[in-house]
Amino acid sequence: MKLYALLLSVTALFFSYSVFAAAAPADGEKLFNSNGCQSCHYTAGPAKEKTIADQLAKKGPELWYAGSKFQAPWLTAWLQDPQPIRPLAYNSLVDKNPGNHSKLAAADASQIAEFLMSLTSADVEAGVIKPKKNPKGRLIFNKKMPCGGCHQYPGRKGKIMGGMSGPSLLHAKQRLNPDWIYAYMLNPKTFKPIKMMPVFAGILSEKDMKSVSAYVANFD
Amino acid sequence: MFKSRFISILLVFFFSTSPSFAASDSTKQVFKFYCAQCHGDTGTGDGVNVTEDFATEPRNFTSGKEMSKLSDADIKNVIMDGGPSASKSALMPPWGKTLTDAQADELVAYLRELCNCKGAE
Ligand code: HEC
Ligand code: HEC
Ligand code: HEC
Repeated sequence: MKLYALLLSVTALFFSYSVFAAAAPADGEKLFNSNGCQSCHYTAGPAKEKTIADQLAKKGPELWYAGSKFQAPWLTAWLQDPQPIRPLAYNSLVDKNPGNHSKLAAADASQIAEFLMSLTSADVEAGVIKPKKNPKGRLIFNKKMPCGGCHQYPGRKGKIMGGMSGPSLLHAKQRLNPDWIYAYMLNPKTFKPIKMMPVFAGILSEKDMKSVSAYVANFD
Repeated sequence: MFKSRFISILLVFFFSTSPSFAASDSTKQVFKFYCAQCHGDTGTGDGVNVTEDFATEPRNFTSGKEMSKLSDADIKNVIMDGGPSASKSALMPPWGKTLTDAQADELVAYLRELCNCKGAE
């Protein structure tokens, strides 16, 4: 009898927990749509872009793997105070990023962040990349490959170095999931079949891609 | 009289422009998407990435003097395998896993249009 009651309460606890956990992303999804986010960001994978024109028609980055790409605390904070990530306006090589992304109140931001963090990709293996300043990664990023030609990165004494056409990699340490960086390089077709960044898979070895991912994941 | 002249102008316009438009438009788009970020929208080497930190100036494709030093095969190789494959700067990326072979050939032809030059043998 006692055992039965115990079982019942454990089951009840389990159900209330799972219902609660399932309800939150659903609320976040409603808020995502009611705030008009869907008009610029798609959230259902797989990647839809097949041509350059498809990519250029988009008004904002795809978010269908946001939960694998971002770190939750960064995402929640950014939605409340969105600072430019790309130096240039989306899909432009001319205009500066206007820095006018819609802002959310704290409560909405955390619910939407919870929804976005539930959107994950099976192609990101967890626990592979540890952020680390390493000489090999540095050599690839700055000398062997043109990464710094298109991406901003932290130089000495807080100086911002690098190119403009890619998203800034400053604060990658807070913003990006290290394992996603590696997965992004390893499976270019999965996440961004059409992009201005060259495909490095097949050019860099997996070991080199790991080193450079760990190096980028450490950018403050 | 007026009408037939108008039609013949239209016809000339149509035939002189449409076939080459269709063919070069997509190559132009490929160029603008992948190459213009460093080489500039019109290929003069002044893309948005060329900031004070950018160590080596991207090739100016409108310079017949520079571009005529390269054969078509040289150009295709450097596009596919990157600067270091031709002892040039690593800031010139390898595009071999991004572009198709046909796209690279079309880009070579497009760069020849920009320089209005022929290649070395
Ligand atoms: C008018 C189009 C537009 C709308 C509406 C919009 N966004 Fe964005 N969003 C963008 C653009 C453009 C960027 C890139 C900003 C940058 O790089 O600084 C972006 C970036 C983001 C990012 C970072 C993605 C990345 O890959 O860097 C997130 C997360 C995001 N938006 C969430 C939202 C949410 C949540 C809403 C609704 C409250 C929303 N956006 C509404 C256009 C839009
Ligand atoms: C020719 C320019 C160019 C070069 C060279 C380049 N990138 Fe990129 N990179 C981009 C662009 C553009 C994007 C954004 C693609 C998109 O989302 O459409 C990007 C995206 C990224 C991202 C994801 C950032 C984000 O917030 O979405 C990472 C990480 C990255 N690049 C790392 C690298 C590394 C490491 C190298 C060198 C091995 C490199 N890149 C070389 C242009 C470049
Ligand atoms: C990240 C910047 C960058 C991008 C993107 C880029 N290039 Fe370059 N490119 C360079 C630089 C820098 C040089 C000059 C290298 C040198 O002189 O050492 C160069 C040189 C060249 C050369 C001359 C090579 C030689 O042997 O003199 C050709 C041809 C070329 N690029 C074609 C292209 C094409 C086609 C594209 C687009 C598919 C492209 N590049 C994209 C930076 C870039």
